[in-house]
Amino acid sequence: MAELEATDLQTKSLPRLSSFSFSSSFWWKLFSYTILVLGAIVSLLPFVWMLSTSLMSLGEALGGRWIPSELHFSNYVDAWEGAQFSHFLWNSVKITVITLAGELVCSVLAAYAFARMQFPGRNLIFAFLLSTMMIPGMVTMIPNLLIVTWLGRVGPIPWIDNWPALTIPFMGSVFSIFLLRQFFAQIPEELFDAAKIDGAGHLRMLLQLVLPLSTAPLLVIVVLSFIGAWNALAWPLLVTNSNEWLPIAVGLYNFVDDGGSEVQLIMAGSVITILPILVMYFFTQRQFTESIARSGLKG
Amino acid sequence: MQADQTHTNRLGEWIAGRRGRHLREAVTAYLFLAPALLLIFVFGIFPVGFALYVSLHKWLIIRDDFVGIGNYVDAIDNLAYFGGFLMGIGGLVGGWLLLRRLVDTARSHGQRPWLLAIPGALHAAAALTFIRWLYFQMPEFLDIASKMRGLDRTRELFQQLLSEAFHAETVYPHWQQFRLVLVMAVLAGIVASALWRDPRNASYQAAFANIWLSLVVGIGLLNFTYAAIADVYQQAIESGTDPGIWPQLTMITSGILILVLAWKVWRSAEQQDRPFAFTFRILASLLMMMAGVMLIIEIPAIVAAGDRDLWDGLRTTIFFSLGIVPVQLTIALFLSVLLFQRLKGSDVFRIIYFLPYVTPAVASATVFRVMFAERPTAPINRLIAGLGFEPQLWLRESKGIFAILASTLKIEDYPQNLIPDWFSPELNDLITGWLIGPSQSLLVVIMLSVWSFVGYNVVIYLAGLGNIPSEMTEAAEIDGANRWAVFRYITFPLLSPTTYFLSLIAVMGTFKAFNTIWVLREAQGPAFATTRVISVAIFEEFFVKTRYGYASAMAFVLFAIILTLTVINNRIQGSRVFYG
Repeated sequence: MAELEATDLQTKSLPRLSSFSFSSSFWWKLFSYTILVLGAIVSLLPFVWMLSTSLMSLGEALGGRWIPSELHFSNYVDAWEGAQFSHFLWNSVKITVITLAGELVCSVLAAYAFARMQFPGRNLIFAFLLSTMMIPGMVTMIPNLLIVTWLGRVGPIPWIDNWPALTIPFMGSVFSIFLLRQFFAQIPEELFDAAKIDGAGHLRMLLQLVLPLSTAPLLVIVVLSFIGAWNALAWPLLVTNSNEWLPIAVGLYNFVDDGGSEVQLIMAGSVITILPILVMYFFTQRQFTESIARSGLKG
Repeated sequence: MQADQTHTNRLGEWIAGRRGRHLREAVTAYLFLAPALLLIFVFGIFPVGFALYVSLHKWLIIRDDFVGIGNYVDAIDNLAYFGGFLMGIGGLVGGWLLLRRLVDTARSHGQRPWLLAIPGALHAAAALTFIRWLYFQMPEFLDIASKMRGLDRTRELFQQLLSEAFHAETVYPHWQQFRLVLVMAVLAGIVASALWRDPRNASYQAAFANIWLSLVVGIGLLNFTYAAIADVYQQAIESGTDPGIWPQLTMITSGILILVLAWKVWRSAEQQDRPFAFTFRILASLLMMMAGVMLIIEIPAIVAAGDRDLWDGLRTTIFFSLGIVPVQLTIALFLSVLLFQRLKGSDVFRIIYFLPYVTPAVASATVFRVMFAERPTAPINRLIAGLGFEPQLWLRESKGIFAILASTLKIEDYPQNLIPDWFSPELNDLITGWLIGPSQSLLVVIMLSVWSFVGYNVVIYLAGLGNIPSEMTEAAEIDGANRWAVFRYITFPLLSPTTYFLSLIAVMGTFKAFNTIWVLREAQGPAFATTRVISVAIFEEFFVKTRYGYASAMAFVLFAIILTLTVINNRIQGSRVFYG
């Protein structure tokens, strides 16, 4: 009876002790919320302004209004048609899908080897790969342009202004290998032992055991690839010279440069560009932030 | 027949056996790695060597003359020679350190592997002859593409041209030489392994090969740089001018040596207990630092005598870094500490803060460009008008913010010359650039970057906060520590690894920043020059002026700066980070 009372007391006093901490006073809570809301407003303001401007008439957009008097959805139609956004979006999707197909195959295999197999030079090769992340992109950009030009001239298909130059160089991603390796290495050993007893080889373990457990990091790589493809600017500028394979970032960039004064159309174009990425982020945000945090801290 | 069968059986046993299993696993692993490694090598590692090759040439879209370190001299003037010497000495010192480590290992195991220096030398020779062959082979291979122009691109043609390039008169002897040395190296390796059966044999051979390589490359670099300087002096004598390279080199070298020494003295002072010894050492260290700085103060002037664009780009990048990193880290730290209380709705806040990070840079730059337009009716100008300020030019303003501030505060003729003109007018010119401060245009770019990256930092800080054992903060609270004390004496120190990591990532990120500035370029007009960070300057040199060789040299200068920063950061900050 006394024992029961003691545990009772403990469980009751614990919440009181911890409620003693940060969130105790009303004023502190108010202060916290004020700062947090302020941060949220600053974070969201450009989005809100972009959305509201994209629905204004030209006069309102230049006149500095914050809320449109009536909603001009036609801006979206105009932007969509004026800048071939459907074409650029489709290009970016194609580029991302091709890159992802190659990247996932390469990185999954390599990450599995680093996480789960024994071979001479394992740590050395892995450390070497990580150290290559230090190399600034500007160093490799010029030779890479020369390399893809060369490959396109001697090979069966042209690389410049075609999908290979935009996709193949990005299929070997050290970051993806690193992210997946961290995840694969944390899968409990017992699962592998069980699979080994069943006589599974490495490829089968990878396909039937590791991959089904790794949807979260795989999803993150997918989303990060899309973000990367939506950000790609310098490299596509170099390796394309027609509209055929131009990705969305260059499309928006050209649209802005051409129609600099039509603010409402530019904002509609920006919304069109951002929307797919934001939707994707909302659906995967939990895995996303978790994986970013994990990969970031162990780097 | 029977013998044959037992033979295959044995082989089968061997493959199925333990060693066989290890071998099979290794082979499978290499197969798994092959595609990724191939791609990373072709598009990530080989290009570094290739960029070095390009940077040693005059190269305007197509390869032109070999100019040695000429591009580097164009970029950073005489400092290029210093860099050459530094790397040469680095090779020698590296070789010496490797040798010492090898001697230590050998001693601790009671072994005498000295004869393995012979196969080691052959391995190094093989590597060097390979690089030499590649150097001569590169142009021949590159020319295949232009030879195939306008012809039917068949596999046969490619193979024929490849074989022609391979057997070219100027190249093939180098290949034969490499082949010969390679065979000798392999043979020597096998013989050495057979004569002395030891598990460490291979690693000794590799270590010796590395030592030879560092020494030879170091001596080669020193020789090369010396020859380049001698060349300059030869030309200077003919034209009757004094290039003044040697005095500069001696001054800079001794300046850096004194600075390193001063750092050591400072560190030793921290361990002194007696006040006199402490004060004396600190004073000596300070004096040495002053002397060192006086000696290396020429560096900026030298760099600026090279390419003014590169120098301005560097200054802009440093402004950019200083403007972004501390602000971003502070905001993120406070937001994450507040979020970490797990108030209601903190998940929503986290999602909101992270939104700018996932937004494509081109799109967010477009939005900022319109928000920070110079029209009085543009959103930000209206916002500050509400607070009683004049409308600003923002992105189109190339005036520095300190200069703007000074004129608002009615400070006359800012910036003044700090250093008397007779000492060094060039130096004054350079200092003025710093005193004016980052332009308002750059300030907008800084705000955009902070806005974009705070969310990422918040997420990482939250993970770092999650790793702090809650007992520590709770215990402190029970002891009566207030929130600030808990933050200052527990949370903040325990977060230092995270802060360190984030600051490193952020500084490196600012040195690579490109997209936003490039997108804003048109909107900035003349103010673009004040936001041209170093990677944008490189891209312009490459993309607009098509000076591939020179742009590569600039990129290597950037690479060298990033490496130096990382090393210094590791040395200074790494030793102060508290790893719980």
